Amino acid sequence: MVAVVTAFSRVAEPESQCIARALRRRDSEFIGQMVSRYHYRLLRYLVYWTSRREQAEDLVQETWLRVLERARQYNGSLRFEPWLFSIARNLAIDHLRKQQPATATHRVCRGDEDGMNLPAPDIESPFFAAARSEDAKRIAAALNALEPIYREALLLRFQEELSLAEIAQVAGAPVSTVSSRIQRGLSMLEACLGGGADAA
Amino acid sequence: MPLENHEKARFLLHRSLVEGISLEDRHWLDAHVAQCAECSQYADLSTRAVQALDWFALELDPAAALRVENVVRCRAEAMRSAEAHAKSLWIGTAVAIALTFMGSAVTWHFLAWLATRWNFPSPVWQIAFVAFWLLPSLLLAFLPLFRKRLSGEDSDSNGQTV
Repeated sequence: MVAVVTAFSRVAEPESQCIARALRRRDSEFIGQMVSRYHYRLLRYLVYWTSRREQAEDLVQETWLRVLERARQYNGSLRFEPWLFSIARNLAIDHLRKQQPATATHRVCRGDEDGMNLPAPDIESPFFAAARSEDAKRIAAALNALEPIYREALLLRFQEELSLAEIAQVAGAPVSTVSSRIQRGLSMLEACLGGGADAA
Repeated sequence: MPLENHEKARFLLHRSLVEGISLEDRHWLDAHVAQCAECSQYADLSTRAVQALDWFALELDPAAALRVENVVRCRAEAMRSAEAHAKSLWIGTAVAIALTFMGSAVTWHFLAWLATRWNFPSPVWQIAFVAFWLLPSLLLAFLPLFRKRLSGEDSDSNGQTV
């Protein structure tokens, strides 16, 4: 009877609460499933940030270890994805900051006020490797040239399908800023696609 | 057609992709796009840009994914056992302290009775009680926590974390 009630309450419980409970209990089975479930999305997000596949793969692992360390900060009242992506984002920014002096730079912000420089993307960008159509190749070129904050905003909105409020939570920026970043990023991509079409 | 209409259409197009627009704006936009070739082309461009983002597909390395999963699982297990150990230590320490104080109360009364019987001066037996009973008992009660702290520092200095 108790098992039935427990099972029922688990089914009725929102997913975010389930995740919060599993993290607090260090439920390795459940956490392993989550790592596997979010691996692709997290990797893609970090590739968008770093423009480097190998770094992104290292950061995925670091992100999950940080999630374990900070498990008690997540109470399950909000969706898990924004919390996960915000941890990944902070790690990516810290990682890129450490590399800053050695490489060419792009300008980006954490939030709005704390300016920093980021390394330029690889010549052999993972975006080109992932592009499967002519449009996507043109977009890949545009993404490569785009600043990470715009790439990030586009990814979170159109691939992760997060709401503006959730993206704002991840990016630590006001909703209006996030909205304008997405619109600006979109304009740049459109300009690139339009230019390609004109050239063709 | 007034220029403002094109600007409004482009604004609404972006807005509809980013955060959605009202039904009224949607109707206006659809009507405008239907009769304006330039805005229609722009709408097509916006849709293609968003779709092109969807066409990016990274090749997943299953071995790398499994490696990450194993590392995270192992860390979760290690943290769970470390936390269980820490919890049992705290409970053990709390019980030891409680027993120390209960035992000390009984011993105090017994020593007070003996001191009265054998006419010992109070400060002598009270100092002896603190020095030879209370302090050693408390030290023993806290010993596991001190050992944990010391071993934690050792493991940190070796570059390992629990």
